[in-house]
Amino acid sequence: MGNFFPRWTNWLPLKLAIALCFILVGVTLGVTYYFTPKYTRVGYEPTQPVPFSHKIHAGQLGLDCRYCHSFVEASGHSNVPTNQTCFNCHGVGKGNIRSNSPKLEKVMQAEASGQPIPWVKVHKLPDYAYFNHSVHVNRGVSCVSCHGKINEMEVVRHDQPLSMGWCLDCHRNPELNLRPLEQITNLNYNAGQLDRAAFYKSLLDKGVKPAEIAAEIPGGRSLDQVPADVKGLVELAEKAYGGQVAQKEVGLQLKKHWQIQPPESCAACHR
Amino acid sequence: MKRIWQHPQEPKTGRRYWRSVGELERRSEFMNKLGVEFPAGDTMDEGERENSRRDFLKIMGASFGMMGLASCRRPLVNILPYTKHVEWVIPGKPLLYATAIAKPTGGAQPLVVTTHEGRPTQLAGNPLHPTANGGLDAFTQASILDLYDPARSQRPLKGGHGAGWGGVNKAIAELAAKAKSNGGQGLALVTGANSSPTAATLLGQVKAAYPQVQVVTYEAISRDALRTANAQLFGAGVQPVVNLSKALRVFSLDCDFLGIDPVGVDSVKEFMANRDAEKGVEGMNRLYALENRYTVTGGFADHRKPLAASMIPVAAALLASELGGTQVSALAATAPTDLQTWVKRAAEDLKKFQGKAVVLGGSRYGAEVHALVAAANHALGAFGTVIDLVKTDAMPEAGTLAELVESIKEGKINTVISLTAADLFYDAPNAEGLRALLAEKKVSVIHWGHLPNATARGATLHLPAAHPLEAWGDIRTADGTYSVTQPMIQPLYGGVSEIEVLLALLGKKKLGPEAPKKADPAAPAAAPAAPVEDAAYAAVRETFGKIAGGIDETKWNLTLRDGFLKGSTYQKGGSLNAGAIAGIVSKAASAAAPTKESLEVVLVPDSSLWDGRYISNAWLQEAPDPVTKLTWDNAALIGSATFRGLGLKEGQKICIKIGETKLEIAALEAPGHVANSITVQLGYGQKKLGFVASDSNDAGRGFNGYVLRQDANQYVLTGAKVEKLAEVYELAITQEHNTMEGRAFIREATAEEFKKEPGFAQVTGMDSHIPQNISLYKGQVGRKTAENPEGFDYDVTHQWGMTIDLNKCIGCASCIVACQSENNIPVVGKDQVAKGRIMQWIRMDRYFAVPKWGRHGAETESTSSEDNPTPEQLETAEMVNQPVACQQCEAAPCETVCPVNATVHTEEGLNAMAYNRCIGTRYCANNCPYTARRFNWFDYNKRPLDELYWGPLSTPSKTGMRESLQLQKNPNVTVRMRGVIEKCTYCVQRLEAAKINQKRTQRDSKNFRIPTDSVKVACQQACPAEAIEFGDIANKDSRVVKLKDSPRNYELLRYIGTRPRTSYLARIRNVNPEMPNAADIAAWSGKQF
Repeated sequence: MGNFFPRWTNWLPLKLAIALCFILVGVTLGVTYYFTPKYTRVGYEPTQPVPFSHKIHAGQLGLDCRYCHSFVEASGHSNVPTNQTCFNCHGVGKGNIRSNSPKLEKVMQAEASGQPIPWVKVHKLPDYAYFNHSVHVNRGVSCVSCHGKINEMEVVRHDQPLSMGWCLDCHRNPELNLRPLEQITNLNYNAGQLDRAAFYKSLLDKGVKPAEIAAEIPGGRSLDQVPADVKGLVELAEKAYGGQVAQKEVGLQLKKHWQIQPPESCAACHR
Repeated sequence: MKRIWQHPQEPKTGRRYWRSVGELERRSEFMNKLGVEFPAGDTMDEGERENSRRDFLKIMGASFGMMGLASCRRPLVNILPYTKHVEWVIPGKPLLYATAIAKPTGGAQPLVVTTHEGRPTQLAGNPLHPTANGGLDAFTQASILDLYDPARSQRPLKGGHGAGWGGVNKAIAELAAKAKSNGGQGLALVTGANSSPTAATLLGQVKAAYPQVQVVTYEAISRDALRTANAQLFGAGVQPVVNLSKALRVFSLDCDFLGIDPVGVDSVKEFMANRDAEKGVEGMNRLYALENRYTVTGGFADHRKPLAASMIPVAAALLASELGGTQVSALAATAPTDLQTWVKRAAEDLKKFQGKAVVLGGSRYGAEVHALVAAANHALGAFGTVIDLVKTDAMPEAGTLAELVESIKEGKINTVISLTAADLFYDAPNAEGLRALLAEKKVSVIHWGHLPNATARGATLHLPAAHPLEAWGDIRTADGTYSVTQPMIQPLYGGVSEIEVLLALLGKKKLGPEAPKKADPAAPAAAPAAPVEDAAYAAVRETFGKIAGGIDETKWNLTLRDGFLKGSTYQKGGSLNAGAIAGIVSKAASAAAPTKESLEVVLVPDSSLWDGRYISNAWLQEAPDPVTKLTWDNAALIGSATFRGLGLKEGQKICIKIGETKLEIAALEAPGHVANSITVQLGYGQKKLGFVASDSNDAGRGFNGYVLRQDANQYVLTGAKVEKLAEVYELAITQEHNTMEGRAFIREATAEEFKKEPGFAQVTGMDSHIPQNISLYKGQVGRKTAENPEGFDYDVTHQWGMTIDLNKCIGCASCIVACQSENNIPVVGKDQVAKGRIMQWIRMDRYFAVPKWGRHGAETESTSSEDNPTPEQLETAEMVNQPVACQQCEAAPCETVCPVNATVHTEEGLNAMAYNRCIGTRYCANNCPYTARRFNWFDYNKRPLDELYWGPLSTPSKTGMRESLQLQKNPNVTVRMRGVIEKCTYCVQRLEAAKINQKRTQRDSKNFRIPTDSVKVACQQACPAEAIEFGDIANKDSRVVKLKDSPRNYELLRYIGTRPRTSYLARIRNVNPEMPNAADIAAWSGKQF
């Protein structure tokens, strides 16, 4: 019997194995990047039927989110406003602001026909995931955490992946996103802007004991002398976090004293 | 290594609680099903599989092709906001309406309706209502599905063909004009039993406007005998209202007051008020029942004696003479001795409770029974204490159907308007004859109803009825409390209400939806026209004004908000005319017990369909009968002695002959059923009403028992003969499905024993000697403490738990239907039920028990058929119910076997389901000792039920969920697809909503725990007996904690160490030791292993 296979084929299995390794690694990397919401979702920016600018309304004019999304604190859904909301300012005989603008044509048509404006949904969760807006915005999670800086967007853009892993990241470490309730719709919020003394005072006013607050500040547990007032707490925090208020500082306090325990079990979102 | 759990050897002392005769006698049919998850096998059968494999290849081929195209584009989803804001509506939050609708069994059910963005999705009782609790019966609970029923009547029919509303209005206007000119001559109105004051007023107005009109009342389940007896005994318009909460002794003469024959405003709630086992022998009520077949009332009785329905008048006479002494009648003399002893001893007990005892007679019996019952109650001093006499609204005088038939025969009638819920051409006595007579005399029939049923198709003109949630109306409960029925959705198919039809007859309203006005785009927007007041709304307001003493806007709005008008009960009045009793009784025919040669046939309303009006309601069709566990059909229920005497098999057809009439019907052996008696449930056998009602060939489901009767008041037919036929009909009975292996599920004792040994339930069966730490299933268990750091943290989370009080559960299907409605559970159809694929999350187990076995009366069981219970022993079998859903085990066997973590534990002790993760291995169902898991064998939601096997090839026009049924779905629960396991999750959507609401309102406070007992799960809310308690076991103030501390508290299969969160409270029977066989009652619970 002669040799059926030429000599170069001796290396073929090894070459194939190496090539396969590269392909596998490539496919894995490709899938993890291209097939996950980080790539497929983020950046989605569909054209809306009405060229409504969040940048003008929420940014320049400083309208509060809740002026239009009025039930966000009451309901699981954040409602899209009715025509009546638009017409409070733009309506003929009401606000009269730019009532003749061609950009408002579709709104006028909807008003006349009674047919709703078909807004294009940007943030879409799967049907089996039950997200609730009200429980987040009432408990220290801002709009900006999921939707990004809407006040800087001309057209709304998908800002965060909104994948399950992304949700769980925050549910496991909520302190990175918690903020005082009056800052929820402040899309430009930065913990550094907070007045440290005022923040601790607000906690004390709610009946939290200084020792409990100190316990959440690094180094606060091991102190022999627990600070008894705002001043002491501020000093302690300055030592731990520096001159400016840090997000983690705020988050840890709120998490502890508001009893924030984000659920991590399936039933929290899947029913 | 595979470890097989060895259940403790079952001792030879017998299966003391059994579900079917097959189980009791260990027939091979049953033994093959035991321990098998799905009786039809774990896999699809040949036919199913063959089809689906082919389909699979076809579809996969196609879908791979399509996938490439579909995945290129992100699906565009729109958000459509309201253009104008809708008052009260917050998108995403349910809006609740208080209303009330008529119960088929009489009276009204006050309701709270949950609506989501304008679509009603769930009904619940109105807990604010003075006479109701949150519970409601299965009929009312399921009636919401009628609203969305695709088979509902959707347009007017003219001679059986579709017609427009224009023609209808024209025809009615002509009719009214003619009636005006001739005073209504030749016009007849058939109304139903109705407690709507507005309808009564309008009917009075019709009579006044057209004095010649003949008005008759007709209901298929007619209570004419009761009505006339009451009028003679108490005076016209006076109604007895029984308040069972004031009674400590209750004697029922075939009165299913806990089931479908209520006697008061809310009989179940009132009866349960005195049923707390903790009240002891003195405080607990005692129930005696005589009946020919098992009803839920009989199952709940402390003493029950099977008695042929023909003998009920005899028993009534016997009881009346025992109690009163003066009413001795010829009837009583014919009683057999055992009945005499039984009644006599019961009567002695009743006598001790003067003013606290009551006798109830079945509403379908003749006037003499009601007269004798009144005499007995009079002797017991029940009038004025337990029974209130109230003066109801004066109803317009109405005749009977028989009188109308006479008039038609005489040629006096040319138009019949049917406003009754009954279906004349189906359920009237001699329906075929009536139909022929109407055709012969050229009588035109105008029919109003919610189904295109026999009358609708045969009528000259048919008007689709509006659902009570679609139209204005009003109603009074049995005690007179006035409620307004308010619409919360526009009529889906333009139906009209009874009030609207009456208004149209009076010329005050045009029927049907208003034609949309053509908008003229050129014209400037006109100022909106002033809303025209709806005539029906105005009529209801007027009635309200009369009852409330003037229309006060605040009062009206409060009535709408609360669902009832405060202080609107009927005036008390009237008294018993004792002199009338003897007169009524003397007219009674003599009674004789049925014999082998001359059987009796008892016609009873069906627990799912009532008189047949719910025939198209899939939830009710699939809800197993509380006693027989039969779904989708009816059958002739026959006692064991007669059944075996005839040599019948389950489902074998028989032909019942009574005189000239005959009925072919499938037979079913019914333990607890008296010999020589056959019970036939009414309402089945309706044709051409679509798949749910009439099966795919439109031939009708079940058998029409109405053909047997000659008179609307005939319910007990005597002199029947039975012939055995060869054909065997398949019945879908769930009683042998999802059986649990193991011991001592049911624990009960008499009140005396409970007093002596309160902790009996703790030591029943294996529970007294469980070895420590034997659980196979490791997991987070118990409360987190220093010794148990892995346990559940009671301090920082809620911990959910449930108790089910077997001393209150009557076994009705209300919780099953409520669960179905809340959790989007599909119906699967008869074929699938027969294969054991029913999807209901709650399984209502019904067990029978026989005290002594075999011919020798042994208490031990041997395998020889010699020692099988005799038919007589089966006749006196006792009945107990036990609802079983997922027990939410802390150490859950299902979780350890799921390969994909689709079922996992939450920190709150729930055994949660992530449906989108489930890949359908069914390991969990296999490993569940409570068999509480259900598998979606098909896309029940997406495919027509009669074409499930066709898969994607099913009729395209029928495929996909009906649009109308989509509207019913609860938006907060996933609609599961094929290949997914599902089960009870303690209504986790409600728990999450409650927690979210607490956090939402508490905001920056740390008070996360919801207020005590503020969340109710669907089954608990629906339970009319308040048998189910649910709450946070980490909150020591909650009721569920108190109940779990009860000595009656026990867990199912405790010895396998699953630590379920659901527990049961043992049943206590308040036995009278003087009664015959008293020692046998509940005696064997303690002997269980």
